[in-house]
Amino acid sequence: MNHDHQNNKFEGGGEGTETNRPLSPWLVGSFMLALCWGGFYLAFNSGGFRQDVYETNVVNWAGGGAQAAAPVDPKVIGKRLYTQNCVVCHQSTGLGVAGQFPPLVGSEWVNSDSKHGDNHLVMLMLNGLQGSMQVLGGSYNNAMPQWKQLTDDQIAAILTYIRSDWGNKGDAIDPAFVATIRKEQAAQNEAWTQAQLMAMAPVKQPAAASAATATK
Amino acid sequence: MSENTFPHHHADVTHEGHVAMDSRAIDASVRLPIIVLFGNAVHWLVVAAAISFILSIKLIAPEFLGGISFLTYGRLAPMARDLMIYGWASQAALAGGIWLMARLCGRPLGTIMGGVLHSTLLVCAAVLWNVAVLLGTLAIFAGYSTGVEWLEYPNWASAMLFLSFLLIGIWAVLLFDRRTTGRAEVAQWYLVAAFCWFPWVYGTANLLLTWKPVQASAQGPIQSWYCGSILSLWLLPVALAAIYSLLPRLLGCHLNRRNLATLGFWLLLLLGGWNGMDRLIGGPVPAWMTSAGVVAGVLFMIPVAIVMINILGMPRNAESLASQAIPSKFLIMGVYSLLGVGLLGALASLPDISASVRFTGVTEGKTQLWILGAISLPLFGVLYEAIPQLLGRDCWNAALSARHYILTVVGIWMLVSIMVLGGLFTGLALSDPTVSFLNITSYAYPFHLMECAAQLLLLVAALILGGNITRALASDYLFNKNTGK
Amino acid sequence: MHRLPTLLSGIFMVFLTSWLGLVAYPTLQLGRLSPVADPETGGTLPSVYGGQAVAGQRIYATEGCISCHSQQVRQLSVTNTDIERGWGTRPSVARDYLRDSTAFLGSRRLGQDLSNVGVRLPDAKWHYVHLYHPSAVCRGSLMPSFRDLFIVRKIQGQRSDEALDLKGADAPKAGYEVVPTAEAKNLVAYLLSLRHEYPLPEAPVKKAGAAQAK
Repeated sequence: MNHDHQNNKFEGGGEGTETNRPLSPWLVGSFMLALCWGGFYLAFNSGGFRQDVYETNVVNWAGGGAQAAAPVDPKVIGKRLYTQNCVVCHQSTGLGVAGQFPPLVGSEWVNSDSKHGDNHLVMLMLNGLQGSMQVLGGSYNNAMPQWKQLTDDQIAAILTYIRSDWGNKGDAIDPAFVATIRKEQAAQNEAWTQAQLMAMAPVKQPAAASAATATK
Repeated sequence: MSENTFPHHHADVTHEGHVAMDSRAIDASVRLPIIVLFGNAVHWLVVAAAISFILSIKLIAPEFLGGISFLTYGRLAPMARDLMIYGWASQAALAGGIWLMARLCGRPLGTIMGGVLHSTLLVCAAVLWNVAVLLGTLAIFAGYSTGVEWLEYPNWASAMLFLSFLLIGIWAVLLFDRRTTGRAEVAQWYLVAAFCWFPWVYGTANLLLTWKPVQASAQGPIQSWYCGSILSLWLLPVALAAIYSLLPRLLGCHLNRRNLATLGFWLLLLLGGWNGMDRLIGGPVPAWMTSAGVVAGVLFMIPVAIVMINILGMPRNAESLASQAIPSKFLIMGVYSLLGVGLLGALASLPDISASVRFTGVTEGKTQLWILGAISLPLFGVLYEAIPQLLGRDCWNAALSARHYILTVVGIWMLVSIMVLGGLFTGLALSDPTVSFLNITSYAYPFHLMECAAQLLLLVAALILGGNITRALASDYLFNKNTGK
Repeated sequence: MHRLPTLLSGIFMVFLTSWLGLVAYPTLQLGRLSPVADPETGGTLPSVYGGQAVAGQRIYATEGCISCHSQQVRQLSVTNTDIERGWGTRPSVARDYLRDSTAFLGSRRLGQDLSNVGVRLPDAKWHYVHLYHPSAVCRGSLMPSFRDLFIVRKIQGQRSDEALDLKGADAPKAGYEVVPTAEAKNLVAYLLSLRHEYPLPEAPVKKAGAAQAK
């Protein structure tokens, strides 16, 4: 049915066309509640309304310097990098492929023992390895590519991750340690052989420096 | 049709001593400018819908139209967005706003300021607006975009837009000041507010972001404030004015919670600008701004709830419930879209949810529901109501109008649902750092495909409206020509 | 609220709150931030852009890169996904955008976040090939090709150093080479300068490996 526009008198004249009805107390109550929530939320999530505080989980009414936020878990970054770069050979289970790629689970190279140090592991990552290699009693003869194109942080994150998953229980690797090893072995261009690595004494990385390695 | 219960204005003297004119005289005084504005607005809507459709194809076939440098996604996307906001929505809001204000205030324009060439001035301003939109769009096309989101027009185009708005908006405020009707209606507050805010918002944002930009470290919050304000404080109030003034009259009822509407009005004012900060939750801004964005997004549900209660709670009789008029259908759908906007906004502002969904199709879907749903649907309602009254006769083709309505509503809800669902899916995948970005892109493919279909529906709907309005205006022009009026 | 002056003053006062908080405060506070001294190099943090990078920003703006790419690493209190994805080593703060003429923060991630792309992809040649044909480098990418930023020309004497190494269907005919225009070079210079990995007083850099082993 067509709307008859000729007779529709849309006009002004607010008298009597808009009335007031008493507001329901429930309505007003819920609005007030919402506004109170807003006020409290703002009070506790605004970093003291400071200009230099960017994290909302810092309640800083007393003044003072900006609080640092919780550090990002290196294992999560390491897992992502491992998935991108390493699963092709070492698999997402860390078990490798029998006869082809060595496992990382329980590996003495990964977890360090009396003969295998943290330095061997880092050097292995940086320059790769060629020729035959013994892991957990098994023999592998393949070529691991070099990964020195990754940054110290990234190598440390991957190594920290593989040392903490699948039942491995190794210490986290410090990026500063990776940097030291990289500098020491800067002249090495080719992949290591097992014999060359084992000829070097196993070194444990220095006790983890305090978390505040970054500037203030 | 229900009997009109409102006071009729004839040519008699009211208590204020002014002579109140009847509706025909009011319409005659604003006919030409409003038809120019509405007609051009629909034209830009069709262009914007076409560009949006092309963009949606590019998301499933990136090399579509790939050889041409000025048809890349990055050039077309701002064109489509700005055409929707400035070409269609703002122009329809100008047209609808002036018409509503003139009718609500009961004065023809010619009786203000001694009848100074008002119609000519308005038409010139309308032409200036469209020239600015056209040249601004072509400038983006040719590679002169400013790069600021929603403000991509070069400085000279935005200055023209600003000037044009001043020339049109001033009349709305003057009309309110010199009105012959007594108590101000809710709709009139919204109109005064909208016409005051746009120059302030648009001028400030352009001054600080494109004309004489401040240091970029400060630009993020200002740009977000602009995005929130342009939607919540310029376009939405005009849509709300349409809803509050037209819907009761079309349905034969009246608003019975004016006090609640007052609360809603002031809360919208308060929260509207802050609402834009949901674009920067977790962004490079101090923590209190992020939290303000969260709070504003959630509290925005209050004005939305108020509109819902006011409109859906109006006492209606059996006849009005059965009203099948196209304008009221659009207006009611606009109210429901506003509810969707409020809910989506509240949810997407919560930090835990924003962490997953920001930057995905959820935010894009919310923006589309804002512009296409909460704002455009009520403006369509005003369009369908105003044009016949301005032309003095029933001019719409009923079949085309019905098809436009169905396709628009279905298209909007389809587009928004797909964007939100796809965005949720993409967002959850993005939150898992082991899933590569390219994989996520391929997972989103089916959603982009369906968005294509939805955009096609909207394009067809826009074309139908374009055909309908062209037919209405052309036959009117021919009719007048033949009868020598 | 029936008289215009009353209504207008009410509107003005209430609207002022968001204007003060989101326009005045940023302009006066965030807009007056200055770079800090870099103890290692003696320069400033963030460091100054070169001329090519400044010109490259214009290309970034006009090509509409912001339609698909963001440039912000989100705060850890909201999410640490951006950092875990390798898009940055620390959250972005306002001071990081000091050097830009426009803050291209972005609101959509159809493409990756670019705030640290200069750290992640420091090879200019990669960027040139990627801009020339993105889906050849990243299969399934939605990014359009920007061929107009390059010139295909006859090799004069020797192949130019700047010529792109293109394979397969992208490679030019024998005797021709594809070289970047000045605009392409500016854009890539800008992309390579996008790095927020330096520490700032309000944004210390936490090295990933320095956390205690759990």
